[in-house]
Amino acid sequence: MNIDNFRRAVLIVGLALPMSWTAGSVAAQTARSYGVKVSTPTINQTASSAVLPPGGDMVTNSGQSIVVGSLVTAQDAFAIVTGDADATDGSNAVSSATLGAVSLLSGLITADGVVAVASSTIGGNATGSDAQGSSLANLVVNGESVSDPAPNTWMDLPGVGYVVLNEQIPTGDGVTTSGITVNMIHVVLLDALTGVQTGEIIIGSASSAVGN
Amino acid sequence: MFKLRTLAMLAAPIGVVLIASSCDRQPGAVAPGIGKPLAHFQPGNFVCVPVKITGGGRIDYPPEQAEKNPPASHEYETFGAHVMGSGQQDANGVCLADKGALEWVDHRPEMEVNGHPLNLHATEVTFAEVATDASCTDGAVHWGGKLRVQNTGQSDLDFEVWDCDNGEPGRNDGFAISVPAIDYAVQCFTVTPADPTCYLTGGNRQFHPTH
Repeated sequence: MNIDNFRRAVLIVGLALPMSWTAGSVAAQTARSYGVKVSTPTINQTASSAVLPPGGDMVTNSGQSIVVGSLVTAQDAFAIVTGDADATDGSNAVSSATLGAVSLLSGLITADGVVAVASSTIGGNATGSDAQGSSLANLVVNGESVSDPAPNTWMDLPGVGYVVLNEQIPTGDGVTTSGITVNMIHVVLLDALTGVQTGEIIIGSASSAVGN
Repeated sequence: MFKLRTLAMLAAPIGVVLIASSCDRQPGAVAPGIGKPLAHFQPGNFVCVPVKITGGGRIDYPPEQAEKNPPASHEYETFGAHVMGSGQQDANGVCLADKGALEWVDHRPEMEVNGHPLNLHATEVTFAEVATDASCTDGAVHWGGKLRVQNTGQSDLDFEVWDCDNGEPGRNDGFAISVPAIDYAVQCFTVTPADPTCYLTGGNRQFHPTH
């Protein structure tokens, strides 16, 4: 399942659950995280990926060394997802993706610590999602040091495309559903002549969503 | 569809009765001794009742604070953890866990093993008891079992966890872990003296008093 399909799944959770047949509410949660994802016309690879099963519980995955052609090298990737659907006491979903040293596009972008955390909760007195705990260490983009980038920081990559740092994409209505996807480094590859998107690279992605 | 609904409505009360009967409260729980005195919450103030606590996140330890350390310091831990118990005790009075899981990654450079982050993985969760006097608004659980150090293969090591759901947002929640056999602990006695949990700097713990 690619990230777009996952976002659609999160949307379906939010839309479909309130319409389900039971008289009471039906709780649900989704969570997914991964260390590296590369999508180009010739490469379609996701490394250290964890997806929470429908019944909840916990799933983990890890990889000590990840190499995707000349596009990405990464060390010590961990993906952890956990959550529980509980119509009585409230539901939660938490996912995290962490990496050590990463290098993209032959060193065009480097960092030595990537943390993506997504957390969603519903029930009790609160409904919401956040990316608290996410961070980038010693990030350098095209020779420029970038410290603690704000959510959805956009930077041009001449001849390559652009990168969105600390990308945060909320989902849900905030009342009966809530979710978030955080991509710490999201490179969009563009054709230098036409400007058409030719691929993307995502480093450190965590998603969570809950519905009641 | 009507028949399905009718069948479900008839079956639901039976299921509720079966589940409820498996969750009879058995107060007065004790946790198993695992190598050194337990300094959790307030000694003796636990009950063996149905419980579930879920979630995960990030802790920035040291220095035991609710704010992230500078990212470049790499002074943080990330984890996922959950446990569920139905309030049953064994013959020794240990409050049994039905199931659980723990994945713990310590990213601190000084904790690296062979150049990689320390990675602890629970192989068995054996006990879970609810603390009655912790400073956690929604609920607190002391639980544990056996784990493996993924980096070295050391296995069958006792661990215990202190777990706190302090309402929303999750950054008010707390978590602590101890693995005596390798002299490893992430505990924050100075933050909340009544229990050793460290503030989460990301993620969430959610206490479920019923299951």
